[in-house]
Amino acid sequence: MTISGVSSNIAPLIQSALDINKQLDDLQRQLSSGQKSDTYAGLGSQSGIAVSLNAQLSAINSFNDTITNVGTTISLQQVVLQQIASIGGNVQSATTQANFAIDGTGQTTGQKTAQNQLDQILSLLNSQGANGYLFSGSAPNQQSVDTTDHILNGNGAQAGLKQVIAERNQADLGADGLGRLVIPAAVGATLSVSEDAAGSPFGLKLAGVSSTLSGATVTGPSGSPAAISVNLGATNPSNGDSITFTFSLPDGTSQTLRLQATTSAPPGANQFTIGGTPAATAANLQAALTAGVSQIGSTSLSAASAMAASNDFFGDPPQRVSGSPATATALVDGTSANTVIWYTGEDGSGSARSTSTARIDPSTTISYGTRANEQGIRWIVQSIAALAATTYSPSDANAPASYAALNQRVYTALGVPLGVQNITDIGSSLATAQTAMASTKSQHQQTANMLTTMQQSIEGVDTTQVGAQILSLQTSLSASLSTTARLASLNLLNYLSPVTG
Amino acid sequence: MSLTQALATSLSGLTATQTNLAIVAGNVANAQTPGYVTQSAVQVASGSGDFGTGVSIASINRLLDTFVQRQLRAESSGGAYADLRANFYQQLQQIYGQPGSNTSLDAAFNGFTSAVQALSTSPSSSAAQGQTIAAAQALAQQLNGASDTIQTLRSQADQGIAGDVQKANNALQQIASINQQLQGGSATDSSSALLEDQRDQYIDQLAKLMDIRVVQGGNNQVSVFTGTGVQLVGSQAAQLNFNATGSVAATEQWNADPTKSGLGTITLDSPAGGSVDLIASGAIRSGEIAGYLSMRDSVLVQAQGQLDQIAAQMSKALSDTTTAGTAATVATKTGFAADIGSLLNGNTIQVSYTDGSSVQHSITIVRVDDPSALPLPNTATSDPNDTVIGIDFSGGPASVATQLNTALGATGLFFSNPSGTTLDVLNSGPSTITVNSVSTTSTATSLTAGSAALPLFVDGATPFSGAFTAAGSGSIGYAGRIAVNNALAADPTKLITYQTSPQTPAGDATRPNFIYNQLVNASLEYSPAAGIGGVGSRFQGALPTYLSQILSTQSIAANAATNLQAGQDIVVNSLQARFNSTSAVSIDTEMAHLLTLQNTYGANARVMSTVKAMLDVLLQM
Repeated sequence: MTISGVSSNIAPLIQSALDINKQLDDLQRQLSSGQKSDTYAGLGSQSGIAVSLNAQLSAINSFNDTITNVGTTISLQQVVLQQIASIGGNVQSATTQANFAIDGTGQTTGQKTAQNQLDQILSLLNSQGANGYLFSGSAPNQQSVDTTDHILNGNGAQAGLKQVIAERNQADLGADGLGRLVIPAAVGATLSVSEDAAGSPFGLKLAGVSSTLSGATVTGPSGSPAAISVNLGATNPSNGDSITFTFSLPDGTSQTLRLQATTSAPPGANQFTIGGTPAATAANLQAALTAGVSQIGSTSLSAASAMAASNDFFGDPPQRVSGSPATATALVDGTSANTVIWYTGEDGSGSARSTSTARIDPSTTISYGTRANEQGIRWIVQSIAALAATTYSPSDANAPASYAALNQRVYTALGVPLGVQNITDIGSSLATAQTAMASTKSQHQQTANMLTTMQQSIEGVDTTQVGAQILSLQTSLSASLSTTARLASLNLLNYLSPVTG
Repeated sequence: MSLTQALATSLSGLTATQTNLAIVAGNVANAQTPGYVTQSAVQVASGSGDFGTGVSIASINRLLDTFVQRQLRAESSGGAYADLRANFYQQLQQIYGQPGSNTSLDAAFNGFTSAVQALSTSPSSSAAQGQTIAAAQALAQQLNGASDTIQTLRSQADQGIAGDVQKANNALQQIASINQQLQGGSATDSSSALLEDQRDQYIDQLAKLMDIRVVQGGNNQVSVFTGTGVQLVGSQAAQLNFNATGSVAATEQWNADPTKSGLGTITLDSPAGGSVDLIASGAIRSGEIAGYLSMRDSVLVQAQGQLDQIAAQMSKALSDTTTAGTAATVATKTGFAADIGSLLNGNTIQVSYTDGSSVQHSITIVRVDDPSALPLPNTATSDPNDTVIGIDFSGGPASVATQLNTALGATGLFFSNPSGTTLDVLNSGPSTITVNSVSTTSTATSLTAGSAALPLFVDGATPFSGAFTAAGSGSIGYAGRIAVNNALAADPTKLITYQTSPQTPAGDATRPNFIYNQLVNASLEYSPAAGIGGVGSRFQGALPTYLSQILSTQSIAANAATNLQAGQDIVVNSLQARFNSTSAVSIDTEMAHLLTLQNTYGANARVMSTVKAMLDVLLQM
């Protein structure tokens, strides 16, 4: 064992004091910053884990941001959908108390209210969230729907709903107002009624006929175009016998016309007088049929036509009467050149929901896009718009009946028939996304807590531990300094008596 | 007469004591002089007549433990090497930033992915678009900054070598000149001891710079050799030469072949003539210079390579599209047809085939526009198991087919250009080899080409395609040049709009989703040359995984360097203490010596005065 002089031991002692000082500096930095190290190297072999923890935490944070943002958007969408549904409900209940009293504009108070409601729905559909229009599919930068004025009244060369209804009305009624039916004069005891053209979407369609007229032969509807023929035979029908025609209307509803044989002359409404011969009776029946059909034409058919026209207008693409309305036999696609396209958002082939997606988790994506022209929304809009766009003439005796027929149809439509998407279906599919987000968010919360704890254990410092380390370092530093001082004083020089001369 | 004899003897005692005193005085005076080795007088009895024995100082001894000295020199080389590396590693750590802070490299990357994630939720939001561009720019700048720092560190290492070479030359010349001075002088006096002290100091200096072997020759001469045995100095000094590079760029790398080397090398011109490249011959294995060399040519190059891999793979993941070839049959030859029209300089065609003995091979054909880069090494791609063929595309598709047939005809593959830019890759007939698949990988150049892939990051102004030049792969130093495409920064809506006809809807998240997936989930391949992954197997994984690998690899290396430094410090310090315990001046010892000398002097003087008294008595008789 080498024993070296005390003085040569001082250098390592000073070195160790310096080392302790350095450690103290580092511990103080740790205490004040709360971070174990200011370089990755200082985290040692755990630095790789720290990096991946940071990446995961950063990803969870951005997923949580997404959930918050998307949550706000979906809440807005839900509010809008609920309001539209409730407006639809209001209009529906108003139609049950429809009162025909028109003012100078040719519309009832109920219709004016409907127009206001339509206005509200359209502005709701133009609601904007943080990223733009909510109901424009994948084009949130485009307004979702056109203005009420353009939609009802048209915009320059583009036809509005009112014009489309008027054209369709002419097409459905025909020039003679008989719903595009041809009812020629009876030939002998035989009378016939036929559609004016095969395959035409317009007017009344012959759906059936049934007869209790004694001795009469009824055929049809058959042939192309469909026709019904009634041959009264050799004897007259008896008093009270009747014949019932069933017509399909353009909106899919049907309407019956029952004509009863009577001996009184003139006959009452929907009656025909039994004449002297079957031929004379047939002529009377033809006149009664013509009058009945004409009556249907200006009431139910007009209302059904308006509903069909509204469906045409809000369709995608809109459908327009082809050619001169009164003689038209087909619909054509409307274009943005001749028709107001009410939905101005993105209209791709994909589903509306898939137009906005958000990744809320590495493996979970939710879809929450909406388009204003989804069937559930469109159905409400077109039903209310049909009511709002129709006008009546005070001189028209059939107007009250026509208005009632329209109200009744709007009522049925707003009840949302089977096979049509209900607006609440849209709401529930969005709610699915909300549920997924809520559960994912709580998962994120748990994961983030766990990751933060792990991260803290790697990157962070335990203040108690650091405090204790500082204390123990202080002790060793003072011990080492006082040892140094003592050793330094242990020098032979200090023990030699001063040299005397 | 014995009285005078006694007088002469005590006189010799006085003289010896005085010499000893002078030595003690010198020791005490030089107690703090660096490199001073305690001297002691070698005192011998000398007969000066028939009776009595005088004393004389035979020589001056340096109290030196040469065994410890040799060890200390060897370890101080290692210590200097470890110190320097630890220091550089700590500086290198700065480029990765503080863990958990916004300044760290991984935080910049996470910031970018978060911004893209937010963008995929709100594609039409111009704020989200701007945020994505800003985050991409921040990431690019972080990579640029890190790359600059690495190259600055390499410059520092280069200048450090220059400084060290100058110091080494100075030490070599001093050693040679002291050798010459000592040749003539006596081995015993104080001044030669001082010269030896000086020479030892220069040798110690040299030992810190590089690992050396010192051979003690006769006549007080020493010769110094490198660890590998090249003589540095004997009676004449060799000259070390080094050309420092003003500022080092990533593409400038040392190469044993001087015509290919971008950086200076250290040559030794021996006095007898002849010159040796000390780096190429591996003569410097330790010491500061070896530390600088390892930083400049290996550690920092690898750190740069890792950043380059991140930059390159990230750019390519966003901009490259791989298209599978379509099956093709020409007469009896079957295989695939691929369109090579859209390949950029550096883009590739991948061919996989099974040979007659059912062994599967893969070939990567690389478009190369700079013929001086040809032929490409197999390490040009990140796949270590493929054969890489560089082809000059300047002659058109027909020339490509011809070149490929020349290069690969022996494999049984047949290439042809039937029309346009189509390249047929076929076998040479039935029952030969089977072409399994052919695909092309091309880099998007347009932001609105109809595909989600886009050149988001660019190399200067052009989309990054990894073009090869004579200097090597285009990915070298790319981390320092990576930038966000200006066209995209000017019009951030292109982050969404991937085609203009039909126009991509403003809320379409196709492209942001693609970018996010490529950044976070896509498994990419990284060149093993950057030090991550084994030699025979490349590292495959998503970008965040690679980033985490880099940081942990670098942390482990930095820690290892720090630990080595701490360990080496302890060894050097304890050896130094051992050395000092023998060689350093101990005031205590000297004081004790002084007391003895005082007594000795007094005793000698008493002898003299007694002799004088006796002589006086004699004379008064």
